Amino acid sequence: MANTQHLDRLVSYLKETREQDVALTDVVALAEVTAQSLQTFFATLDTTFYRELRDIAVYIDDMKAEIGALQANELKESRIPAAGQELGAIVKATEVATNTIMECAEAVMAADASNPGAYKALVDRQMLLVFEACSFQDITGQRIAKVVDTLQHIEQRVGRFVEAMRAKDLSGFIDEQERDRAERKSKFMLNGPAAEGEGIAQAQVDQLFA
Amino acid sequence: MAIDLSMPILVVDDYNTMIRIIRNLLRQLGFDDVDDASDGSAALAKMRGKHYGLVISDWNMEPMTGYELLKEVRQDPGLNKTPFIMVTAESKTENVIAAKKAGVNNYIVKPFNAQTLKTKIEAVFAE
Repeated sequence: MANTQHLDRLVSYLKETREQDVALTDVVALAEVTAQSLQTFFATLDTTFYRELRDIAVYIDDMKAEIGALQANELKESRIPAAGQELGAIVKATEVATNTIMECAEAVMAADASNPGAYKALVDRQMLLVFEACSFQDITGQRIAKVVDTLQHIEQRVGRFVEAMRAKDLSGFIDEQERDRAERKSKFMLNGPAAEGEGIAQAQVDQLFA
Repeated sequence: MAIDLSMPILVVDDYNTMIRIIRNLLRQLGFDDVDDASDGSAALAKMRGKHYGLVISDWNMEPMTGYELLKEVRQDPGLNKTPFIMVTAESKTENVIAAKKAGVNNYIVKPFNAQTLKTKIEAVFAE
């Protein structure tokens, strides 16, 4: 609206002065009218820019809130290392238990069975050790539950973050080490143990060799 | 064909417990001369220094996998006749087919039992 008014003024001015020589004052007057028109334009532009900048600021605030909710520092410094320690303890416990059980089995297999009484006493002692060693399973189960809890915690927060940011996955690797690991896995077919119900059974393997 | 129980056997696995299990199972089957190595390159070095009648190897090891070891063994004129059994948790069809193409004599999926090991060893020496 303001632009139209200024334009009308400009047209009127030109109509009034077109029969006369153009004086310096005319030029200045024309410049004044033009400047007023542009001021209106800049004012509109300022409002648009302001709105855009305000939207960006709100988006950044939201993003900061979502990053905060992700609790990335707590995950990195506390939860993930703790889960790693639990897994390490699980590996250690199963290793210790396996070694104990194997030592018992080896002791029984190597024992002299010529004296039945002494042999039975030895077997009983070793079997007791086997029972004791198997108690690792209870503690291991509890440790695994803690790791699963951590994984669920991470899953929930990352899921919420991805949804809030409308994040899309980018292909590629985060660094050269990750690329090397992936290439090695692929090149040498290092798939690891199959999940239950996946992979082929020994009988199917045997058919391939028949 | 009777199996020579005195033949040296090389067990290759990066997990000591598994080496111990296989060693005990082999002892139960009558094999007493059992060496071990923790990866393919260590196994290859041992094989070039001593003649083994059988190699029983895991697949997933570092730095050299059992699959690479198998291919190296089959390409080496001095070793390529050595019977080779893969004992591994890798149970995808692509792994079994690749191992067979590379010249493995038999393939055992972990976890396995004594009877399976016995049967496969017998099958390899019946070929």
